[in-house]
Amino acid sequence: MTDPRVERLADLLVDYSLALGEGQVVRIDSLDAGAPLVLAVYRSALRARALPYTNVGLSGLGETLLQHGSEDQLTYLSPIQWEEIEQLDALVTIWSESNTRALSRVEPDRHAAYIAAQRKLSNRRWERISSGEMSWCGTLFPTNAHAQEAEMSLAEYEDFVFAACHVQEEDPAAHWRSVSTELSTRATELGSARELRIVGPDTDLRLGVADRTWLAADGRYNMPDGEVFTSPVETDTAGEIRYTFPALYHGREVVDVRLRFEAGRVVQAEASRGNEYLQSLLEMDAGARVLGEVAFGLNYEIDRFTRNILFDEKIGGTMHLALGSGFPQAGGQNTSGLHWDMICDLRDDGEVYADGELIWKAGRFLAEPALDVVESGVGG
Amino acid sequence: MASRLERLAGVLVDYSTRVKAGDLVCIDTGPAAAPLVRELWRRVLEAGGHPHLRLDVEGAQELLLREGSDAQLDWVSPLRRSEVERADVRIAIEADVNTRANTSVDPERQARAERAREPLRTIHFGRASAGDLRAVVTLYPTEAAAQDADMSLAEYEDFVYHAGLLDRDDPVAEWEELGRGYARLAEWLGHRREIRVVGDGTDLTLGVEGRTWVPCGGRENFPDGEVFTGPVETKVDGAIRFSYPASYAGRRVSGVELEFRQGEVVRAQADEGEMFLREMLALDDGARHVGEFSFGMNEAVTEFTGHTLFDEKIGGTVHLALGASYPESGGKVRSALHWDLVCDLRTGSEVYADDELVYRDGRFVDGVL
Repeated sequence: MTDPRVERLADLLVDYSLALGEGQVVRIDSLDAGAPLVLAVYRSALRARALPYTNVGLSGLGETLLQHGSEDQLTYLSPIQWEEIEQLDALVTIWSESNTRALSRVEPDRHAAYIAAQRKLSNRRWERISSGEMSWCGTLFPTNAHAQEAEMSLAEYEDFVFAACHVQEEDPAAHWRSVSTELSTRATELGSARELRIVGPDTDLRLGVADRTWLAADGRYNMPDGEVFTSPVETDTAGEIRYTFPALYHGREVVDVRLRFEAGRVVQAEASRGNEYLQSLLEMDAGARVLGEVAFGLNYEIDRFTRNILFDEKIGGTMHLALGSGFPQAGGQNTSGLHWDMICDLRDDGEVYADGELIWKAGRFLAEPALDVVESGVGG
Repeated sequence: MASRLERLAGVLVDYSTRVKAGDLVCIDTGPAAAPLVRELWRRVLEAGGHPHLRLDVEGAQELLLREGSDAQLDWVSPLRRSEVERADVRIAIEADVNTRANTSVDPERQARAERAREPLRTIHFGRASAGDLRAVVTLYPTEAAAQDADMSLAEYEDFVYHAGLLDRDDPVAEWEELGRGYARLAEWLGHRREIRVVGDGTDLTLGVEGRTWVPCGGRENFPDGEVFTGPVETKVDGAIRFSYPASYAGRRVSGVELEFRQGEVVRAQADEGEMFLREMLALDDGARHVGEFSFGMNEAVTEFTGHTLFDEKIGGTVHLALGASYPESGGKVRSALHWDLVCDLRTGSEVYADDELVYRDGRFVDGVL
C-alpha cells in the first residue's frame, strides 16, 4: 500500500509548490529509488490536468560515465536535453540516492569537467526559472542511503523527512500557506534593519544588511523549506563566528570552522579537521572570502543535523551564513564559483540583535510576527 | 568467459545497431532491465557513443490510460519527440513486470493513446528506412514474461538466450551466417507474384508482385529470424486461422479467424477477446489491412511463449500483421496498429509460390532455392 504521506507530499508539490494548472508541461526527475514518489507526483499532476512525464535515471550509470567516459563523452550535452528545457513549464527534482558516496573515488578533475558541462544546461534552466517562465521544486524521497548518511533507520528517516514536510498532517498546503504568511511578514520586518549582530559561543559577528531584501523560503522551490534569507552588504561584515555543525562541500567535511571577518572579507580561517580544504576553497576566487547569504533556519520539525543541506540549512533555531555567491534578487552583488552554506547552531545560548535590539534568543524570535491574520500550526 | 548478458549487450551494440563514435544512443526500457542497461551503458561508452536513458516508471502508463483526460491521452512529451527525431540509435528493451496490468483498461482510451503516438511511429520508421536511425527491439527476461510462457524464470532465461544464440561461442558469426541465408531466400521470393498458404482452417492468397522481401538477421529485432514483405494492399483474399493466442497492448486474443476480400478484413471472430479484436480493427482504415506477411525462420525457437518477439520467429510458422507496413518492403498500409498474428504451419500445411509447392510442414522444400 502506498504510504499516505507520499501521496500528500505529491499533492503538496503539485498543488502548492508548483501550483500546476491545466495543460502545463511538467517533467519529474528522479533516480530509480524515487519511483514511489515519481508515480505519486505523476498521478497528482494528471489530476491537476497538467501534462506530466518522467525522466528517471538508474543508479550506477553516472559513475560508469565518470569512470570510463572520454573527455568528449563526459562533457556531451545532447540536443534532446537542450530541446526539452525550452518546453517545460515546471520541473520537479526528486533526490533519491541509492548510495550517497558512489562518486567518492571519481577523479576530481573528471568530475569537475562533467559538472562544468552540465552547468551550461542548469544555467539555462535557472534563467527560465528566474524569469518566471517555468517553476521548479526540489525534494527528497527517503532511501536507506540518505538514512544512513543521517545515521538513522529508514523508518526513522521517513518519519523525519515527512514531518519536516508536514505531510503527516491532513492538509499540508494549509500549513505551508500559513508558513508563507509568517515568513513573508518576518522578511518584511527584517527588511527595515540596517545591521545584525550574532552572539554565541566564540561568535560575535556584525553584518550590514541595510537596503537588502529578505526573502521567504516557503516551500515553492524546496520541500521541506522554512527560512528567511538575504545577501549581506559585501563590505560590512566584521567579527568572528564559530560553526558548530560540520561544513560539507561536495561531500567533503570540514569540522569546527572558525572565521574572522574584517570589512566584509575573511581574514583568518581555521578548522580542526579539513583545514587544508577550507583554505583551498577560500582561495577559489575573489568572491569566496565574502558572505553571499545570511539566513534564519525556521523549520522546527527539523531538529538535528542529517548531512543533507536540503534539511540542515532549515534546522529551526540555526542560522547559516554562506561564503561565496550572493542572490541578486536579495540585492546581493558578490559573485563566486563558491556558495558554501555553513550552519551555526544558536539553540542553546545564541542571541541576535537587529540595530542593537535583541530579536532572537536561544533559537527563536522573541516577538511573534505582526500578522494581520494569526494562523495556527506553525512551528513545533 | 563473458556472461550471456554481456554477450547480449555486445551483440546489440556491436552487431545490431553498430554504434560508432559520436552516436546518440537512446536506451528505452523499464527498471526491471537494469542489469542489461548497465551492461549496455558500458558497451556504448566503449564504442564512443553517447548513451541516453528513458526509463519507464512502473504504473505511470496505466495511470494515464485509466485517469488521463482526452487532452492528456492525446499528448506526447517533448522528450519522446526529441528522442525519435534526434537519436542515431535506439535500443528498446521490453521488461514487463506484469504483462496484464492494462487488461481492464477501456480499449477505446487505449486506442486513443496509440493514435496520439502514430506521428512518432511515422518519424521513427521514416528515419529507419532512410538509414538515419538504427533501431533494435529486444527483451530482457522477467518473471512476468516467464509466467506468460508457463516457465520458471531460469527456464525462460535459457529459452531467451538460446533463441538469441547467446549460448554459442560466437553469436555474431552465427547471426551473420543466418542473415546470408535469409537474404538468399528474400532474393528468391522477390521474383514471385503470389503466395498461397494452405493449412487447417486456412486458405489465403496474397499478392506480392513488385514488393521487397526483407531478411531479418538480428538488426532490428533481437532475437530474430524471419523474412517478410508487405503484400499488395488490394490482393489479400481467403481465410486464415491463427494457431496461437495473440497479445496486443497487454491484452490477449485467442482463436482468431479472419476472412479477407480484396485486401480487407470482411469477417473477424475470436474465441476469446473478440470485442478487443473488433476495437482494434476499427482503430483506423489501415487496421483492416495486412501490413506484413512473413516466414518465421528461427529454428532455436520451437515453442509458443505468448510473446510476439519470439512467437513470430518460430521456425515453421508464418505471421501476418494487421495495420502498418514497413516502408522498406514496399507496403503502403498506414495505421496506428501493427499487430502480428501467428499461424503454425509445421503440420499439415503447404505454401505455394505462383502455384508451385515451395514449402511443406514448416520447411521450404529441398531444391526450391
